[in-house]
Amino acid sequence: MINTKHKIEFDAEKCVGCQQCYKSCFVDVIRWDKEAKKPVFKYVEDCEHCFYCQSVCKKDAIKVVPDYSSEHLMQSFEAYK
Amino acid sequence: MKTINKLQSDVLIIGGGIGGLACAASLKEHNPELDVLVVEKNFAGYSGKANRGGGVLQYFDLNRIDPAEFAVFHANAIGAFLGDQELMMKYVSMNTEMLDKLASWGVNLPKNDDGTYHVMPTGPMTAMICVDLDITLKVRKYAEKLGVRFIDKTALAELYKDGDHISGALVYSILDGELSLINAKRIVLATGSQNYRIGSMWSSGRGDGIAAAYRAGAAMRNAEFGNFAQLAKVKSHNEIVFGENFMYNAKNEFITKNFREFRETDINSNAIREWYTQMTAGNGPIHLDFGPQGGDDGALERLWNRPYGHKFRVLNDESGNAVDTDLEICPMFIGEQSPIMVGHDMQTTIPGLYAVGDCCYSGSGLAGAVPAPPGRNRGSGILNAVFDALVCGEAIGTQKIEASFGAISDAAVEKDVNALFAPLDKADGVSPVKVIEFVQKAMAPVELSVWMHKDRMDKAMGFVNEAKKLVPQMKAKDWHELLNCREAEAMVLSAEMHYKASEMRKESRGWFLREDYPEMDNKNWLKWIIVENKGGDMTLSTMDVPIAGWPAQPQN
Repeated sequence: MINTKHKIEFDAEKCVGCQQCYKSCFVDVIRWDKEAKKPVFKYVEDCEHCFYCQSVCKKDAIKVVPDYSSEHLMQSFEAYK
Repeated sequence: MKTINKLQSDVLIIGGGIGGLACAASLKEHNPELDVLVVEKNFAGYSGKANRGGGVLQYFDLNRIDPAEFAVFHANAIGAFLGDQELMMKYVSMNTEMLDKLASWGVNLPKNDDGTYHVMPTGPMTAMICVDLDITLKVRKYAEKLGVRFIDKTALAELYKDGDHISGALVYSILDGELSLINAKRIVLATGSQNYRIGSMWSSGRGDGIAAAYRAGAAMRNAEFGNFAQLAKVKSHNEIVFGENFMYNAKNEFITKNFREFRETDINSNAIREWYTQMTAGNGPIHLDFGPQGGDDGALERLWNRPYGHKFRVLNDESGNAVDTDLEICPMFIGEQSPIMVGHDMQTTIPGLYAVGDCCYSGSGLAGAVPAPPGRNRGSGILNAVFDALVCGEAIGTQKIEASFGAISDAAVEKDVNALFAPLDKADGVSPVKVIEFVQKAMAPVELSVWMHKDRMDKAMGFVNEAKKLVPQMKAKDWHELLNCREAEAMVLSAEMHYKASEMRKESRGWFLREDYPEMDNKNWLKWIIVENKGGDMTLSTMDVPIAGWPAQPQN
């Protein structure tokens, strides 16, 4: 997917800095702020809504909110009719 | 010239998914003295696809199934006589060894009370075992215990040879651009397939390893079988495995019967063609109707206890179900191009350069006329990678490795570093997203890439050529976008290989469907198409499939 409009809600208060979300992101959306010891959701436009970061967070600090309409499978439905 | 770290390793593995990790573990088991380094673009153990898919492993009851019997079934029903039957027999015969090896590495394979594996039949000869999705983390942990070293967040730029033999790789940090030149006596590519950033869970496969191997001169085989597609819900894009058995058009006619008589475990390209045919006839939209029993998305979760993968699967399903108000479906192009050509020891055509897993599934010739797993052979994805890894681990792990490292040309490295960083130095240019959009226009519409015809392929090549023109103009604002540029370039190359090889293959065979050549042509096309980079030009040639002496032969 490219240029997606998924949102990632993050509760910094709950985060304990375990880095699991940072490591779990297989498309480099999440970076790590070493000083703050918190994730930075830097390239959200590349998010694939895989939910891995949310599922590995033991403190429920992350919520992925997909905008499915921003994903394009590129099948030209109208042209087929 | 920019500062470059100089590193060394006996064996360098590029890619930390299941193939790379299993290869690392196998190498250390065969030869604990070997220095093994894994370089991964994101984080080894979290990357790849083994931890994001269905988590199933193919199982053969070897007390009941003879490997030759399965090779014959596969050649007739799936691989359409283009597969390497010798390799298939070896894959089947190593099934128990592979499962036991994974279990010994700490992977959670569910067992019955009597200690046997908990198995579910999937066909007359096959069955499957579920595995928890922390499989790659478990293997990384085991490999670390054996002394394997890891460098994460680091991507492959180029490969180098000393004469004909592989001698090293240039890699760069995607966090800060830090460059490392790694001198290695053997290199194993485990970089996954090419999936063009279309399907969600498949998106780790971006073909950068395929592209680097191609640029270094490694031959590609079966590049035209990189056009896998799956049915997905139109709104959420969640895939519906098995859904092709329940397809209905807008007139409520059961259209599955137009391409198969009985339910099958795996999708085939005829289901994709049927969707397109119905849509263009004005019979869309197409939906699924599972009948009174309903769909069964959660079947695997109920059958097996998979605590690690459970939450991940449930989040995906719940989120999708919230928007899926109906069961309208459409094809989702996936790709799974995996063309790096390897021999029975997993060595590429470059001595010392090996490949394992989804970067070389078609290139190994294992499965013939079908894309990489699931490729109509459910559960073979993870196990194919483990198979390759064990074969490669044994091949390198039992070799007498030379004491000295090969040379790497300073001039070549300087040229490559300049080319690598060129998009960062541009004041003006185009975004890599623009290039990827053109590639997706060429690959994603299934009437271009799956249900093929010369006229439509020419249209697709038009998009590929538009993308190709933009490659030198790409601009990157930071290291992340530079990675996108490199991946976009690899996507253009894969798409070009796909269409050039597809235009050359003038027949239909297995998954490969051409409207203008609808018949399988064993007289002229029991051949593999080989794609090579010769002095910067993409050249295509053919190689006869050495089918004489293999158990399955075509009837005509």
